[in-house]
Order: sequence, then structure tokens, then C-alpha cells
Amino acid sequence: MIAAIGFELTHFQSMTLFALLISIAFGFLSRRRTSDRVKYIMWSLFLFLLIGVGIGWAMYPFSR
Amino acid sequence: MSEELSTDATTVTNSTSTTSAVTSVASSEHPQKSELMAIAIGVAGWLVPGLGHGLQKMWGRAVGCFLTIAVLVLLGVGMRGNVFSSEGGDAFGMLGYVADLGTGSFYFAARALETEGSDVAHAEGDYGTRFLAAAGVLNLLAALHAYEAARGRKA
Repeated sequence: MIAAIGFELTHFQSMTLFALLISIAFGFLSRRRTSDRVKYIMWSLFLFLLIGVGIGWAMYPFSR
Repeated sequence: MSEELSTDATTVTNSTSTTSAVTSVASSEHPQKSELMAIAIGVAGWLVPGLGHGLQKMWGRAVGCFLTIAVLVLLGVGMRGNVFSSEGGDAFGMLGYVADLGTGSFYFAARALETEGSDVAHAEGDYGTRFLAAAGVLNLLAALHAYEAARGRKA
């Protein structure tokens, strides 16, 4: 049903969505106050993206 | 008179020892009950993402867990990720099955929704497989967190 609709996302969009959702879940599980949660989510998302892009950049020379 | 006093003292001593015995039995039964309750909360949290926290009135965490895991599963299915079955065969298939099964009832919803099967030949399908597995592992983590919170270890 949903699979029939299908999502066409780029690698970066997929990674960003994944990082955002995992960061939200981690933020809700590990922090109690809303402000702490927001800070944690932003920081976790930033690190996810930084490390993801960093690893992608580091692997680029080996892709060809 | 002195005999009466000594009888009273014996009665008091007996009643004190009986009370302490009852207290010790109660205290040994109470942890067992709370442990059973904590296990039930953990299992509930695994079956329905967020329910373990919801039963403990941690509404923010309950809603947060439910929504993130639901969106991960929906995206995984929408991207035609592989929903592993128990007949996977190899070790990676079994690992994927265990990870997918971590979503509890959402695993069966994912199987029902993915009517056209998986398509891991494309990047979307490959990402979808990861989304589904991550949703399962995340739900197991949330269920463990709910269990620990029910035991009073952390909240």
C-alpha cells in the first residue's frame, strides 16, 4: 500500500531523515527537560551529519 | 503481678517478632511483584512502541518513541526495504529478522503494508532496510529504558 506510493530520496536526504529521527528518539529517552532535549537533539543531529559527510568525503577517493 | 508482667513482655516480644517476620516476608514479596511489573512494562514497551513509558505516565517519552519508530517503519516500508522473515537462512538474515522483530507489533504492520515486496537493488531499498532495522533496535532500547525506569534505576 505505502510501498506502492514509494519514496524517492537521495542519499543525503535519507541520511538526514535517519539522523533526525534517531536524534529525536535519543533526545526523548535520555533527557527530561524540553530545553535539554532540544539541545541534545540539535547536537546529536549535527554530529550525525558531520561524521556521515566526513566518512563520505574520506571514502570519495576510493569510489573510482 | 510479676508473672503477669513477664507474660505481657513475652507477648510483646512474640508480637514484635511476628511483625518483623511479616515485614520481612512482605519486603521479600514486594521486590518480586515490582520485578514482575517491570518485566511486564518492558514487554508492553516492546509490543507497542512507547507503551512501556505510557504505562508509567511518561507521556513525552511515550509519544516520542511511538512517533519516531512509526515514522522509521513507514519510511522503511515506503522505500521498499527488506522486512526479514524467520526463513532468512543465513546469519545476516537471522540478525535482520531479530532487529526487525524489535519493532514488536509494527513488524507485522510492516509485513502487511509491504505488498509489493522489497527492492534492495536500488539505494532506496537498501536505506529502507536500515530504517526498519534501526526502528527495531531503537524500540528494544526504549523497552529496556522503560524496564529500567520501572525498576527505579533511572528515569
